This record gives sequence, structure tokens and C-alpha cells, in this order.
Amino acid sequence: MTEPRPPARFAIGNSSDIVTARQAARALSAHLGFGKAHQTRLATAVSELTRNVIQYAGEGSCLIEDLSDDQERVIRISIEDHGPGIPNLPLAMEDGFSTSGGLGAGLPGARRLVDDFHVSSAPGLTRVVIAIRKPA
Amino acid sequence: MTVSLPQFLQAHRDEMLAEWLAEWSSSSAVGLAATSSTAQTRHVMQTLFDEILSQLMVAPQDPPPGLDEHAPLCKHLRHLAAEQARHPEVATDPMRMMFSLRHLLLRHVSTWIREAGTTPVAEHLVQVNRYFDQIALFVFNNIINLRDRHISEQSLSLMELSTPVLRLWHRILLLPLVGIIDTGRARQVTDHLLEAIARHEARVTVIDLTGVPIIDTSVAQHIMKTIDAARLLGSRVVLTGISPEGAQTLTKLGIRFGDVICRATLRAGIAEALLIIGKRITAMEDQAR
Repeated sequence: MTEPRPPARFAIGNSSDIVTARQAARALSAHLGFGKAHQTRLATAVSELTRNVIQYAGEGSCLIEDLSDDQERVIRISIEDHGPGIPNLPLAMEDGFSTSGGLGAGLPGARRLVDDFHVSSAPGLTRVVIAIRKPA
Repeated sequence: MTVSLPQFLQAHRDEMLAEWLAEWSSSSAVGLAATSSTAQTRHVMQTLFDEILSQLMVAPQDPPPGLDEHAPLCKHLRHLAAEQARHPEVATDPMRMMFSLRHLLLRHVSTWIREAGTTPVAEHLVQVNRYFDQIALFVFNNIINLRDRHISEQSLSLMELSTPVLRLWHRILLLPLVGIIDTGRARQVTDHLLEAIARHEARVTVIDLTGVPIIDTSVAQHIMKTIDAARLLGSRVVLTGISPEGAQTLTKLGIRFGDVICRATLRAGIAEALLIIGKRITAMEDQAR
């Protein structure tokens, strides 16, 4: 088994940071042997969530970790911001709900794109943790 | 009678200049010394040296040396920054050049202080230091400004380049999208496309997404709006080039392109577009000779 890659943290502040973060996510998933569909789904989820950061909070961060062990390959990505938070989380997780005139597919869509999805939100700290996994 | 600092500096001018030039050319095998001709660099450095030195040769009762925006020195420094901007691999060279001169001058001023035995020792050193801080800041700001301008120029020209609307056939347009679709580009693409549809009275527009790396909800929304606008002008839209994993991702995201005609490849999309206007591509027959 190869050594897990060290975690990488990316500041998210403008749209080119979105590209940097999702490319890093895609590169790591490719490195760990995830298929192309998996790679695209992870990169798209990162793209959705980091875009939310910029749209609603202005800036935040994205931490990409390789948590693989002998049994399975795991990539965990934590996206955080210190913005106003999501006022009604259950509503925000529903398809078609958006406060910004978007499609309202970002959060619920991202949840369907990945294997694990946790979101916690309060004014001052919103954190979304996603992970994809596959047997080693 | 001890020599004053200006007198001391004047006396050692040639020696210091030679030292600076020698130190510079030996320390930078690559860099400005290598990219521009040596004689040219020497000339630039000599001019800078004289300007800086003349500022330092003020009598004690005069105000301390400062950087005036309109002084000839600033003009030379701007020139130095501009020269550097053309060779991005030597980004730190102008700064290094200035720091090496500061080092040299401080050394000489210290020598003078030791020889002259004057009491307000620190003051002279502080003045020289402060003066060079201003110079360094000025050069740095100039470099940053030039870089910024360079970058915004590049992104502008990239925008210009990246949104061609091609006339594929009579009343058929092709819009190949390549790269990242953000709000600015989406607006520009839509503008170009609508204008072309109106000009050519296009019946069909083929939008090819082969070159779009990620289609997330924001990109999808931009594309949908473009499609809607094209429809209002009476053009049907054929969407091509969504990869298998892209298609899977879009359905997981819950994005539906409704009743838009989609084809996997550009080839199939072109065939569909021709079908809509009642044409087809066939082999040439013998009877046509």
C-alpha cells in the first residue's frame, strides 16, 4: 500500500480557487484509483460546495484528506466558512429550494454525488464534510 | 576637521559603484545580467547609483532623503520594474539589486561613522535604511501593478478568443464551449450567440460541451439560460459532448435539460441539426459525374 498523501488545505475566495480545489480533489481520486465517474462526481461536489462558500459566505476553506487504510480507499473533504450560516437546513436540503435564484440542486445534489455527507451550520461556522470510499 | 558624510560618499563614489557592479554581476549568473546585455545593465545601475547617492548627500540641516514621485530616480525605477516584468523568471532581481546597494552603502556609512567618530550614529543608518525601504516599496508596487495589468490583459484576450460562434451550414450555428463557464463568460457567450442567431436567422444551434471540464449546477444553469434565450429567437438547440460520467453526475445532481435535444457526440449532433432543416450528407453518386 502506498503512503497516504498529506492533507491539503485550500483557501476559497474567488472562482479560480474553486477550480484549484476541484482539480486537487480529482487528482487525488485519480491517484487512489477511483474510476472516472467517481472522480467527476467528487470534483463536481467540491465545485458545488465551494461555490456555495463564495456565494453565501464570501470566503472559506477546503481541506482534502486521504484517509485510506488497508481495507478501503477514502477521501474526505471538509469545506468550511464563517458566513451567516444556512437558516433552515432541512429546507436547504430539499431539491429546488434556493435563496439566491439558483437551481436549488447544489446541496441535495452534492449529497447524492458522494458516499458520506454531513452538514452542520450555525451563524459563524458552516461545515460540510463529504467522503467517497471504495474497497482497496 | 573630519569629513562630512557627503564628502565621504563623494570621495568613495567610484569605489562603491565598482563594488556594487562587481557584486551584482557575480551574484547573478542568471537574471537581469543575463537577459539584458551587460553594458546596458551597467548603464542602468550607474544611473540609479548616482541618483540614489545624490539624495543621500544632503547637508544635516536639510530634510532627510525621501522619495519624490516625480524625481528622475522614480522614472528609472519604473523602467527597471518594466524591464523585469518582461522576464518573469527574475522577479526578485530589482529588489535584490536595491538590497545589495543598501548593504553596501550601510557598510560605507558605518566606516565613515567609525572614522569620523560622530555621535548621532544611529540617525544616519536609520535614514539610509528608511530611504531604501521607500525605494523597495516603490519598486515592489510597480512590479505588482505591471503584473496585475498583464494578467487582466491576458484574461481579456482569453475571453475574446474563447467564445467563437461558428456558422456550420446555412442556418446552422455551432457554439463550442471550452473551459470554465463563469457568470462573466456565460453572459458573453449568450450575447455572441444571440447576435449570431439573429444575423444568420439560424434555425438550429449546436452547443458542444466536450471542452467543459465540470458541469455543476451553476454551469448547467448558465447553459439553460442560453438555451432559453436562443429558443426565444426561434433557434432550436442541440446539446452535444456530455461525457458518460458527466451525464451520470448531472442526473445525480438532479439537473434535467428538459426537452433539449441531446446527442452524445458532435457528429451525431450535426446530423440531427441537418435533419431539422431537411438536409443530409450523402455520398456523391455516379450520375452526377
